[in-house]
Amino acid sequence: MIKKIDPGIVWLTGALSLLGVMMIYSTAGSAIMTRQITWLIFSILVAIIFSRISPRIWLNLSPVIYSLSIVMIVIILFKSDIYPKRWIKFGDFSIQPSEFAKFATVLMLASYLSTRKKLQSFSDMAVPIAITGLPAVLIFLEPDLGAAQIFLPILIVMSYWAGMSGVKILILFSPFVSAAASFSIYTWVVYMAILMVFLYFRKQLTDLVYGFASNSLVGLIMPLLWSSLKTYQQKRIIAFFSPWLDPQGMSWQIIQSKIAIGSGGLFGKGFLSGTQKKLEFLPERHTDFIFSCLGEEFGLVGITVVLGLYVYLIYRLLRLAKETRNRFSSIFVSGIMIWIAYQTFINIGVTIGLLPVTGVPLPFISYGGSALLACFMAIGVSLSISKTKLAY
Amino acid sequence: MDEKAVAFKVIRNLIFILAAIVVLWSMKLQVFEGKKYSRLSEENRIRRKFNPAPRGRILDRHGQEIANTRPGFYVSVVRAVIDQLTLSTLSDILSMEETEIIEKSKIEKNPFSPVKIAHDISYAQLSLIEEKADVFSGVEVGVEPLRNYPYEELFFHVIGYVGEITCEEIEKDKTYILGDYIGKMGLERYYENILRGANGVEYVEVDARGKEVSKITEKRSIPPTAGVDVLTTMDLALSESVAVYLEDHEKAACVCLDPQSGEILVLYSKPSFDPNLFTHGLQKKEWDILNNDPDAPMYNRAVMSCYPPGSTFKPFIALAALDSKTVGEEKRFERCLGEYRLGRRTFRCWKKHGSLDLTGAIVNSCDIYFYQLGRLTGVDTIADRANRIGFGKKTGIDLLNEKQGILPDRKWFEKRYGYNWTQGHVFNLSIGQGDLLVSPLQLACAFAIFANLGRIPIPHIISRTDTTYFTADISQEAIETVCEALAGVVDHGTGTLARVPGVEVCGKTGTSQNPHGEDHSLFVGFAPADNPRILVCLIVENAGHGGSVAAPITGRIIKSYLNSLQQELSEISLEQ
Repeated sequence: MIKKIDPGIVWLTGALSLLGVMMIYSTAGSAIMTRQITWLIFSILVAIIFSRISPRIWLNLSPVIYSLSIVMIVIILFKSDIYPKRWIKFGDFSIQPSEFAKFATVLMLASYLSTRKKLQSFSDMAVPIAITGLPAVLIFLEPDLGAAQIFLPILIVMSYWAGMSGVKILILFSPFVSAAASFSIYTWVVYMAILMVFLYFRKQLTDLVYGFASNSLVGLIMPLLWSSLKTYQQKRIIAFFSPWLDPQGMSWQIIQSKIAIGSGGLFGKGFLSGTQKKLEFLPERHTDFIFSCLGEEFGLVGITVVLGLYVYLIYRLLRLAKETRNRFSSIFVSGIMIWIAYQTFINIGVTIGLLPVTGVPLPFISYGGSALLACFMAIGVSLSISKTKLAY
Repeated sequence: MDEKAVAFKVIRNLIFILAAIVVLWSMKLQVFEGKKYSRLSEENRIRRKFNPAPRGRILDRHGQEIANTRPGFYVSVVRAVIDQLTLSTLSDILSMEETEIIEKSKIEKNPFSPVKIAHDISYAQLSLIEEKADVFSGVEVGVEPLRNYPYEELFFHVIGYVGEITCEEIEKDKTYILGDYIGKMGLERYYENILRGANGVEYVEVDARGKEVSKITEKRSIPPTAGVDVLTTMDLALSESVAVYLEDHEKAACVCLDPQSGEILVLYSKPSFDPNLFTHGLQKKEWDILNNDPDAPMYNRAVMSCYPPGSTFKPFIALAALDSKTVGEEKRFERCLGEYRLGRRTFRCWKKHGSLDLTGAIVNSCDIYFYQLGRLTGVDTIADRANRIGFGKKTGIDLLNEKQGILPDRKWFEKRYGYNWTQGHVFNLSIGQGDLLVSPLQLACAFAIFANLGRIPIPHIISRTDTTYFTADISQEAIETVCEALAGVVDHGTGTLARVPGVEVCGKTGTSQNPHGEDHSLFVGFAPADNPRILVCLIVENAGHGGSVAAPITGRIIKSYLNSLQQELSEISLEQ
């Protein structure tokens, strides 16, 4: 029995968090940085405590924690008078329940999936969909599209990790592709044709019926759903596809972020010297667009190093998931891994103009106490798992 | 565990692929398109700021400023960063419509460049804006040199005015930028290139809200070059006097010039307009009122309005007759009994003059004598001599929009009336009525032939020592004969009200027939007769006879100017 925590995860999270403090100082000054440091110290303490709690306790507590987090979101949905309804205020500071819901949902889903030895049919996915769908829908209603979307990759990857067939998952979630393709009738028709050919040769009637019915339905109702989106959400999507059309509107963020990163060049403008940041051209400098500032001040070299740290951390988590023998622990770590990986990819993808603007914080680096604490809670549990990874 | 190993590989590879995409995409932005984004970042950060040059002053002949510059506060907005709150507050402070502010700011294509939307705001407005400086985004206040006309409407028609440049004007001359002022009329326009100076350039660092953060020293700034002053020949004191003398009349034009040098002393047109109002930027409504005013205040009557010269043209008929040796000075025609019959038509004189010689006919302005003289001289000779003197042609003064009037000749009559034109048209021409049209400036220059004994200067407003002359090629004897008659007009003829004690004044009265109302009163005169220093051409619209209205005012103008010359001379001798 190895009783040692994974040192890689420790120093990688540490490095990223310190980098975050540094970038918050550069973008928002010492007052905000002090707040972040306070949160960081608190988060580290929580992580240390969590790393000493046995995974078995988490398994037993998971329904309670999950229920609590759902209740918190329901409370703000009904009680909060600030729009969007994302925060609960506790005196001087406020927390974002959606961040803790991520942790709770990963926990709950891991606990459920670990009890199921075999996952084969679509019906086996009903409960996992319900577990992730509930917080996703509630958070979507806040509304916080950025936070709500994370539950889909969590569901997919964790079920996959738990043994669900990859092809089945692809078919199950193919309606999302159908939705994306439905913005143009031509792409949608081509997509449907390819899907039908694939399903035909698979020779499984349930897959074929499900695939055809769900994809057609989604493809037909998507245009209606589009019109029900909030104007700012529609604008974000439009702005992504043609940012220079309206340089003052939503695409201002994308344009300024790309200018910041692009002007950083190979080596960057130097720490604290980013003009896009300093002169406030860059929006959401210390939160969602902190990576743009990093790209501006440290250039391609900086971006590659930071991305390397993330990839290595994610890889360490993935390897931990693989090596962990306990089924619950393994599935849980895979959930933590995809949570951090997905947020990192979406956040960076937005800042470099690869993806449409969705408000997703960069794990460990973006300013924000709740997101930091939630990530550290996840890391704390992962560390406790790493100590006992060889135990069944 | 086999299942897990596959999943591990799939996810690991996916992560590596996505990371590679991110790195490659960043490389595209930072390395391959790095120059472009660096430029965009610099454009964000650095703004080329133009500091407008103060315009050259315009000075009267004694060096007194008749147009100068004063500092004024302007407001500019940066369209890309102005927000609704700022816009509505600003619209209240400036009492401008929000849409007007937006409309004005749209002149500039780059939404990040500040555009001036209001000039010359008051201190009250300035302090209100300064108070809100922290809340406002995309609003700047600055100081700029503004044109100032201390004598308001007195020199409007000569100096003209400046206004903010339009996009069409920039199209024509790319050395201008938006927000520049440009001469739109008068001297401001004619001498624009001398007066304008050159904008200075400065590089400043601005933040996202368009606020200046610091000056940039790596890029060399160029200070503005002030425009060059224009020294004119205008006489401020005399202009003021003319305005006072014409106080009781609504519409009038007056040209005073030095007949020897062609220097314009006064160029006055009434009604006028205060050009300072243009500096604020006139609203469209005000413009419409100004342009549709039936009294046409924008119109420079002295060079743009053409009137029938009436009897003031008679000296030129006499000149044509004498020069062509058609008659001599002693020539007498049929006696004037108040009317003259030509075929079935009757032409009238304003008085029964009896028998007169040429001098007497000029002195008493007898129409019947000139009908017969004109008929005898013939339209060809009259048109030829009048053309030599400058009628029907621009004088060449340094103003744009000068009108050339109409000098009808045989061809002109044929074109206008076909071959049916009659002696009646020549009769009308002989007393300066009918189709003949002259501008006050033209008439003044034509009279310079008498004041200068043959030489006619090209009039100019800018001060210069090299006056250009042209010679009308009219016999000296004829000029002298008519000139003596002109002295008689003031001494004992129709223009006695123009007399100035102790000075011999030459002149001619005129009444310009006006089909739309009361006749216009004209007088052209110069003095002193032996060494003319001032020549005045005055037309008072709808005032009746030349002898009764225009003549006495001309007398006062001449007296006032000669007195001031006297004073200057004594001051100079005192200094010595």
